[in-house]
Amino acid sequence: MPDILTTCVYCGCGCGLYLREAEGRITGASPSRNHPVSQGNLCVKGWNIHQFIHHPDRLRQPLLRKDGELVPVSWEEALATTAWRLAEIKERAGGEALGFMASAKCTNEENYLAQKFTRAVLATNNIDHCARL
Amino acid sequence: MAGLATTFGSGAMTNSIEEIGQAQVILAVGSNTTEAHPQVARRIFAALDRGAKLIVVDPRRTRLAEHAHLHLALRPGTDIPLINAMMRVILDENLADDLFVEMRTENFLALRDMLFQMDLEAVAAITGVGLAAISAAAQIYARAQKAVICYCLGITQHICGTDNVQAIANLAMLAGQVEKEFTGVDPLRGQNNVQGACDMGALPGVFPSYQPVENQDHREKFERAWGVELPSRPGLTLLQMSHGGAGGPIRGLFVMGENPMLSDPALDKVRETLTGLDFLAVSDLFLTETAALADVVFPAASFAEKTGTFTSSERRVQMVRAAIPPFSGCRTDSDILMALSEAMGYRMDYDSPAEIMEEITLLAPIYGGMFHDRLERSWGLQWPCWNRNHPGTPFLHKYFFTRGRGRFMPGEHQGASEPVDADYPLILNTGRVYHHYHTGTMTRQCPALNRECPEAALEVNPEDAAALKLRTGELVRLASRRGEVTVRVLVSAQTPPGSVYTSFHFPETPINLLTTAARDPKAQCPEYKVCAVRLAKV
Amino acid sequence: MNDHLILKKDHTLSLLRRLMREHRLVAPLRNRHGDTLFSEVEDLAGAELDLEHQPQASLKPFLFPQQETMFRYRLDGEGGYRFEPPEPGRPLLFFGVRACDLSAVLYLDVIFSKRGRDPYYFARRRDSLLISLACNQPFANCFCNSAKTGPFLEYGFDLQLTDLGDRYLVEVGRARGAELVGRWRHFFTPAEEADRKAQYQALLESRSHFQRQVHLEQAIRRLQADEPLPEELWAGLSRRCQDCGGCAYVCPTCTCFTITDQQITATEGLRQRSWDACTFGGFTRLAGGHNPVDPGREAVRQRFLHKLLYDVREHGRPSCVGCGRCVGICFGGVDIVRFIDLVCEVRQ
Repeated sequence: MPDILTTCVYCGCGCGLYLREAEGRITGASPSRNHPVSQGNLCVKGWNIHQFIHHPDRLRQPLLRKDGELVPVSWEEALATTAWRLAEIKERAGGEALGFMASAKCTNEENYLAQKFTRAVLATNNIDHCARL
Repeated sequence: MAGLATTFGSGAMTNSIEEIGQAQVILAVGSNTTEAHPQVARRIFAALDRGAKLIVVDPRRTRLAEHAHLHLALRPGTDIPLINAMMRVILDENLADDLFVEMRTENFLALRDMLFQMDLEAVAAITGVGLAAISAAAQIYARAQKAVICYCLGITQHICGTDNVQAIANLAMLAGQVEKEFTGVDPLRGQNNVQGACDMGALPGVFPSYQPVENQDHREKFERAWGVELPSRPGLTLLQMSHGGAGGPIRGLFVMGENPMLSDPALDKVRETLTGLDFLAVSDLFLTETAALADVVFPAASFAEKTGTFTSSERRVQMVRAAIPPFSGCRTDSDILMALSEAMGYRMDYDSPAEIMEEITLLAPIYGGMFHDRLERSWGLQWPCWNRNHPGTPFLHKYFFTRGRGRFMPGEHQGASEPVDADYPLILNTGRVYHHYHTGTMTRQCPALNRECPEAALEVNPEDAAALKLRTGELVRLASRRGEVTVRVLVSAQTPPGSVYTSFHFPETPINLLTTAARDPKAQCPEYKVCAVRLAKV
Repeated sequence: MNDHLILKKDHTLSLLRRLMREHRLVAPLRNRHGDTLFSEVEDLAGAELDLEHQPQASLKPFLFPQQETMFRYRLDGEGGYRFEPPEPGRPLLFFGVRACDLSAVLYLDVIFSKRGRDPYYFARRRDSLLISLACNQPFANCFCNSAKTGPFLEYGFDLQLTDLGDRYLVEVGRARGAELVGRWRHFFTPAEEADRKAQYQALLESRSHFQRQVHLEQAIRRLQADEPLPEELWAGLSRRCQDCGGCAYVCPTCTCFTITDQQITATEGLRQRSWDACTFGGFTRLAGGHNPVDPGREAVRQRFLHKLLYDVREHGRPSCVGCGRCVGICFGGVDIVRFIDLVCEVRQ
């Protein structure tokens, strides 16, 4: 597969970088030469960005706290529990009692959905992210 | 970012990163550029090689400061008097851009009155910077044809962060250094998509494209689009949510890819708040300190496994492209949100991220032309981009400010929230290091980066180290009124006497146990750059 | 052996398609973003072969990848380990390789066979074919004329092509090239005297097109003189180094690597090797924290001296091939050309 151009996930510079894939694993990263910001080079974090993607500590299954312990569960159970608990709090204490921390690492599309979800479903404007940090 | 929004009408970088390389004067304020924004530093070095002058305003002798023609090593938290003094010099030397002030700005008299009442000798005493250096900096900046100011969290992470930003904006307007190419005021954003998350309305007071939730017209627009009634009262900010305490106003919280248990100030309070919640859900790549406290944890897909867009510091909206499918068992955050929304009875139906963006183009005017197919064919587009044919906007405020006229907002010195005293005699300043990123969730998993920078180091000035009989490599207990950590000392002249410096990337050294939750009342940005601490040998 | 043949451009793709049956073809492709990268060609008809621009990376990532799996290990349940080396792929065919990049491969051959043949490198290199393209038009940062690795090659290629308008003049280098030409004889016709003259003309023109004057020889002589360079020269360069490693990563001849193990499950893992760079502080830091190299003052010293002095001592030639890739990408503006200029200035 040819190298895939994407955008770096670290600082706000917004470098264009290529990810190299081999047998389903990301094995390298390199800068785009013509990209207006990266112009042929990356910082050390960008050059080594492939190293965290396949880290064995990546979460692979939803976890649910049962008797004080986080235990692996199915997606259906994790989603249903979350939906039910959030709805229950909204019912009892109103949307004002719910909050959402969105992420400066997620995409625009995901952040759009996050605020839509917060405003339209949770019925609150309690949404923020780490812009202030 | 409230500061630039009040003065210019838009809280984003006015230039493109590439333009910085063409400036004749660069004024870097509170920005450790070589470590935090390497591509910006690259342009600064390029400008230096073309003969540009560099002025660095920073308490620390950063690597960038070593290359500066002038380094104003001010006392932490005294940016406003320093910048006010620079403006006074500009007035006294008749270097103000009178035409620009006349045609493009308002409220100049209020600023002028304040500047003429100020006592320059007192400024020297407060800031610890000599008047000659301040005067030289002001003249170099104001005399340049094309000058840019880059500032970063050294400006905003103060109790007076908004006023700091306004002081910088005042300076730029007074000298007329705003409207042109290679000229402007550039806040460097710390994270890849912090700009985009703001643009998308992941903020308590505004819908996407900064449309206030209190405004009925805007609200009705979104109510029509989404088919539900929407709340009109602005919500709580991040710190109000994470510092509410065990019985705080928030009972249920969803955290998407953030780690407040390491990144937020006064961590003990955060722990109390999060453990006191009725329900906490977290989606992340790894079991972070925050996820470990959750009731439900969703395994999310990394950036290499999803498609969408990021918006960089220079307002450039660019494609993120999946190089591999999500790991088996993981889902993208959009899939998680769509499934959750559906489970709660509200259908979110999108075939692809491109379709989500199509909805954004309908509702967020500054993203009006950001269709994925256009972004696919280009190196991204810089907002505002009003429609499909709009080419995007490399630099802002050409001919007129976003808010019409730029508004001078005079401000005066405010002391830090926690001055040093006999018990806690040192100032703790926190920041980032080059090899790691934010809470280290990703970078700490990279062997190459961990080898280069395996642990936190506490920079201590040689004078203080001698007084405390400390040597590089020794472990010390660093304590504030809120908490304490053990950390290794690095004796370094980069940090001025009377203060110490370290970073917040390391879960082993959660420095935010110590930092203060005191924050700027306007922007709600915590004062990470100043709190009082003491040191003791272990 | 240095036969001269003609290959019509019209027939080049047909020849490549034949060769793809037995080889994985790697050629410079221009992608839809406008970048030119050496890429493995899967669909020759759909790919945009770009011989006009310098590919942004050399052949290094194909022969010595940024990160490669040396083997997979498993606990076999009886207290022992099982090791599984990766499967070798089909042999590689590199097409459109410039003189500098091919010279770099010859250098890699030497380095990776110095202390016994490196099995990972030679598993890919052994059966590979190199078809080079003589540089009629050097790129903006090129200085292979000064590094004596181009613009045209005398040896080292399997085939070297020279663009003569509607046709390529083909020179046959090594035995593998002769074998190729012998097997696909009908694609080639003998070259005539006029073609050889046209090639010589192209070489002369190419030499006059270099935009940079880089005095590599002079710098090497200065370094060979016994007086050390001023400390301030090294410190000035190192102060500008921002520790990205980019110069070593893009360099076609930098071969430092580091080895890490990655656990996948409790009983299974990978041993990987990844590119490293001598400019990194962690490269020389000893256990206990002491670093014999002061990164603040000597960060780039090892790299430049290795390229221009140690390799000259060891192999009789510098290991900079003059491809110019590191020029202009250094965050601090302290690339090898800046260094060469500074060294030459010291001499005067």
